[in-house]
Amino acid sequence: MKNLFLPLLLLFLVATAHAQTSGRFTIKGNLIDSTNAILPGATVMLLAPKDSALVNYNRSNDAGHFEFKNMRRTPYILKITYVGYIPLDTLIDPKDQDVVDVGTLALTALNQDLFEVVIKTARAPLSIRGDTVEYNASSFKVPPGSTVEDLLRRLPGMQVGQDGSIRSQGQEVNRVTVDGKRFFGGDTKMATKNLPADAIAKVQVFNGKTEQARLTGVEDGKNEKTLNLELKESHKKGGFGKATVGAGTDNRVEGKVNYNRFNDKQQFAVVGLGNNTNQSSLSWDDYQDFRGSQSFNWGDDGDFGFSNGGGVIFYSSDGDGEGLTIQAGGRPDEGFTKNWVAGANYNYDNKKTLFSGNYYFNQTDAVRDAFSRRESILSDRTFRNDNDNKSGNLNINHRGGLRLEQKIDSLNSVVILSNVRYGSGNSRYRSDQQFYRQGDVLATQSALENTSQFNSFSMGNTALYRHKFKTKGRNFSASVGYNINNSDGESNQLSNNTFYVPNQPDSVKNLNQNNETNSIRTQLKGSLLYIEPFAKYFFWETFYNFSLRQDEVNREVFDVNSDDKTFDRNDQLSRYYTNNFVYNRLGTSFRYSNKGFNLALGLAGLTFDLKGDFAGSKYSSSVTQIDRRFTRFTPNASVRFDLKNNRYLNFSYNMNVNEPNIRDLQPIVDNSNPLYIREGNPNLVPESSHNVNAGYQYFNAASFVQFFGNLYYSYRVDQVVYNQQIDEKLITRSKPMNITGGTNLGAYLNYGFPLKKTKSTLGFNSQINTGKILLFVNNQLNTTNSDSYRLGTNLSLTPNEKFTFYANANWNITNTRYSLNTSQNQRIYNSSYGGEMNVNFLTSVYFSARFNLNTYVNNRFGFNRNQPILNLSLYKIMLKSKKGEIRLSAYDVFNQNQGIRQYASQNFVTTEQVSTLARYFMLSFTYNMRGVTGSVRKRGFF
Amino acid sequence: MKSILTSIALLLFTAALAQEKEAGVITYEQEVRWARIYAKMDFLSQEEKDRIKLTWGSDDEGSKTKMKLTFTPTQSKYTYDSEQNTSDDGRYSWRQSEYLIFRDFEKENKTEIIEMLGKTYVIEDSLKAPKWKVMNQIKDIDGHVCMLAVTEDTVKRLKVSAWFSQDLALPIGPGQYFGLPGAIMELSMNDGDVVITAIKVDMKPVEKEAVELPKKIRGKKLDNVAYDNLLWNHMRDSMSAHRSPYWSMPY
Repeated sequence: MKNLFLPLLLLFLVATAHAQTSGRFTIKGNLIDSTNAILPGATVMLLAPKDSALVNYNRSNDAGHFEFKNMRRTPYILKITYVGYIPLDTLIDPKDQDVVDVGTLALTALNQDLFEVVIKTARAPLSIRGDTVEYNASSFKVPPGSTVEDLLRRLPGMQVGQDGSIRSQGQEVNRVTVDGKRFFGGDTKMATKNLPADAIAKVQVFNGKTEQARLTGVEDGKNEKTLNLELKESHKKGGFGKATVGAGTDNRVEGKVNYNRFNDKQQFAVVGLGNNTNQSSLSWDDYQDFRGSQSFNWGDDGDFGFSNGGGVIFYSSDGDGEGLTIQAGGRPDEGFTKNWVAGANYNYDNKKTLFSGNYYFNQTDAVRDAFSRRESILSDRTFRNDNDNKSGNLNINHRGGLRLEQKIDSLNSVVILSNVRYGSGNSRYRSDQQFYRQGDVLATQSALENTSQFNSFSMGNTALYRHKFKTKGRNFSASVGYNINNSDGESNQLSNNTFYVPNQPDSVKNLNQNNETNSIRTQLKGSLLYIEPFAKYFFWETFYNFSLRQDEVNREVFDVNSDDKTFDRNDQLSRYYTNNFVYNRLGTSFRYSNKGFNLALGLAGLTFDLKGDFAGSKYSSSVTQIDRRFTRFTPNASVRFDLKNNRYLNFSYNMNVNEPNIRDLQPIVDNSNPLYIREGNPNLVPESSHNVNAGYQYFNAASFVQFFGNLYYSYRVDQVVYNQQIDEKLITRSKPMNITGGTNLGAYLNYGFPLKKTKSTLGFNSQINTGKILLFVNNQLNTTNSDSYRLGTNLSLTPNEKFTFYANANWNITNTRYSLNTSQNQRIYNSSYGGEMNVNFLTSVYFSARFNLNTYVNNRFGFNRNQPILNLSLYKIMLKSKKGEIRLSAYDVFNQNQGIRQYASQNFVTTEQVSTLARYFMLSFTYNMRGVTGSVRKRGFF
Repeated sequence: MKSILTSIALLLFTAALAQEKEAGVITYEQEVRWARIYAKMDFLSQEEKDRIKLTWGSDDEGSKTKMKLTFTPTQSKYTYDSEQNTSDDGRYSWRQSEYLIFRDFEKENKTEIIEMLGKTYVIEDSLKAPKWKVMNQIKDIDGHVCMLAVTEDTVKRLKVSAWFSQDLALPIGPGQYFGLPGAIMELSMNDGDVVITAIKVDMKPVEKEAVELPKKIRGKKLDNVAYDNLLWNHMRDSMSAHRSPYWSMPY
């Protein structure tokens, strides 16, 4: 080894010495332009020939001279650039010279056309690369609808003949390619005449091999001028779609399809689903795919100013609980449902005009079988109600939506939107109810059968105008809206009630009623907002809201006689009423905003004017009137503070005011349910609440530690509660009244940290809540205090891309105390334990198992349920480009699924069990044009 | 590399002698196109990327931030144009994460103050110019004819294109990029994921304080190697946690 080392060292020394003797070298030269004038201040660069890497640079001096001394002895590219001249590249190979003098180099001026048009006017980059001249065509302005031919006419150095033939710098272009590929059989005019100009990103002209040389591979020395059109990324049309079909045991089937097509301006999507597996709405992902860039639009309601509830709110549904816009992201339904959804959506966006239109159909046919038990607490006793019921609901909706947003110029914009819904359906409800007093003494036996059908039309229209003033921060906005809801319904109520009272004869009350209700509700509303920046960081906002709501309701009730054919009008329950409801609010707020500290303080004054006329019938002369006017002042405050290092603080105070429901104001007795009789109260005043909220959030991205905490408190003034009078037959008479003093106070904490960074995370969360609800029962005030404690923990293990495990446990205890009857104080326990495991065990085979155990315990109520649910699925990704997935799923392996609920409130405690879709097995196949990505990870934030 | 720095120094020296007035402020506009950035996260499926593009793709233009580069012939300072980021109507503001890049070409050193990963870091080290390749393309930016040079960020895995001016002969540039024969007027990462473009060049005498570092600098001190390691670890952790690294560090 030693022997070998010495000669090597020697060799190395000799080599180094040789290199040193050849020394470093100098490059020098002089620069002139094409008119032989000296060129001072030109950039002179030395680049490495192999990769154009910048090695050294300098500038030519006043005499046009440049020099690089002491350069390493390797070849260089000497690159000289000067504004308005074609960059000049010269290869320098020093060989054994000590000084390389390139002599006087002349720079050629850039074609004035190219320079002026491409560089200066179009501001497009220009590449000169040997024989290739390349323009970035996207910056050349051509009128919309122009073809590539029109674009070429504008490009310097190009001529387009009458016949569409193209010449570049005098030479004919024989070949046109699109993205390097031939376009429609090589006819040069096909591409240039048909492609839209705005689809082109770049135009390249270069000398290519002839067709023959290309085919044979034999260089024939001839060159053809070739024009290549590079398409914009956005015009490489995107399209994707997905379809799933599945069939299972117990006649379970599901199918889902969606397809999208889009480019940079337009998005088109269709979606459809059908199943009897309780999925009645689109998932958020499917909704986003369907609505695209229009998935989320904020501020479209046009109700300016801080929120304090009530007033401007308009309910677009009348009983069926459906909104005007598409509902997405629902949980699986309870009971058994059959569902259909179909829709189409189109969006257009050219940055100035945004247009969107959609149609959406959904139909749900639901069957529900439930048992509920409710214990009501009175001062000296309790009574129980068992309710065994079955219901069926068919609900059909057609929705249409249009939205246009037009940016008139940089200061003005308009948004116009209109949403329509046409809904129809029917429902059936059958129930067997028993009321028990003193434990198991039957008090009332009741059988109910209700049927109804309805159809409704609703529409919401809004126009918004926004103006920005030249002064930054000064803004004006105005909005008008018109909403309408027209519904017709018909229903039949049948009930047989038998009352058992000790020492009294049994009494029977049967009911057979038909009623028809027509209602038309309209709302006209408008809002104004003006923002003035009055000092650095300070803004003053003024807003005004107005709403006029008009209701016209005609309700005709008929008692069906025992012959089941004839009926008599029920003049007590039949009613015709019209309401005018005027809301005005004027408010102002000051805002301070500086470096992430945002403070707002505001005050608004609002008035409600309620005018109602009601009578026994549309033609009745005896009309009763309600005329009430309320004025309230609502303060508002909010603070949000961005602290350093991902920490945030927020605080808010607001006051909500809600006007009384007009039905609650009508002093009429409604005995359509003989077990629960309602009466209105014309003396109601608006209810309000004071709400305080404070929070702190922290997230450390490096250590993956997160913490957030929240505190909230609300105090209710003039809360509308339905006071109860319960008689010896256990018939409840309720009447709304205002009561002050209800509170809710709580805190929420969440803390998560990694056990091992990126591999496992442990989290804790807990919530404490204490609430006070006030209610009069049989003229005695009952205060229900409810304290609940929740503790949760979750663990996630994500060791690699093949296996993940997630576990969670939650414990929830609620203590409820009734001041009226402390012997009924009770404690409810709800807990849940969950585990989820995902494994990828062959190249594209995945297995996932999810287990949940929910427990519900209330010892006083004798309620104790455990519900273990296990879902398993095994799937394989298959087909070319992983476009297919075949999946075998087992839902609720132990056949235990049902809807279970228990809670205590006011003067009652209740439990409910709903029989729901349980165990089934399903085999499904998915085809996804974008490829199916198997992942063992839970989806989260990106 | 050394030779570039020598030539920078030499050039600066001559420039300083020749033109005292080679000082001023360049205002840049930085546009971040999140949908394109997410499209490169390899832990997202194509479906998720398409969804992000469809839903948020057209909002990218909204996130523009103005930055300014203050320079003298020997020093440069790059930071936010305004101390705060405000909403369009000015009613709401966000705190800017600290970001200041200071270079002294004469002393051949730099100080970068960057708030990221929940901390403020101060990176102090000698100047190390990226390895530029000069391309044969020219373009006009704000009236300055610029030439294209490209480089690569091997830690963040970015392709960087810089358009440097031919008439503003200083090796200055926005962000962590510099060392070309002229001021960098436009910087584009990964073909436009992030684009920083000069919108105003204001040649004017610059007060000494305007280009200097703030008097008080608080933060954890790092050198180039430690900073690269920090970035590298974060990029790796984020990818394996399926989370975008840019949630918590500047692009």
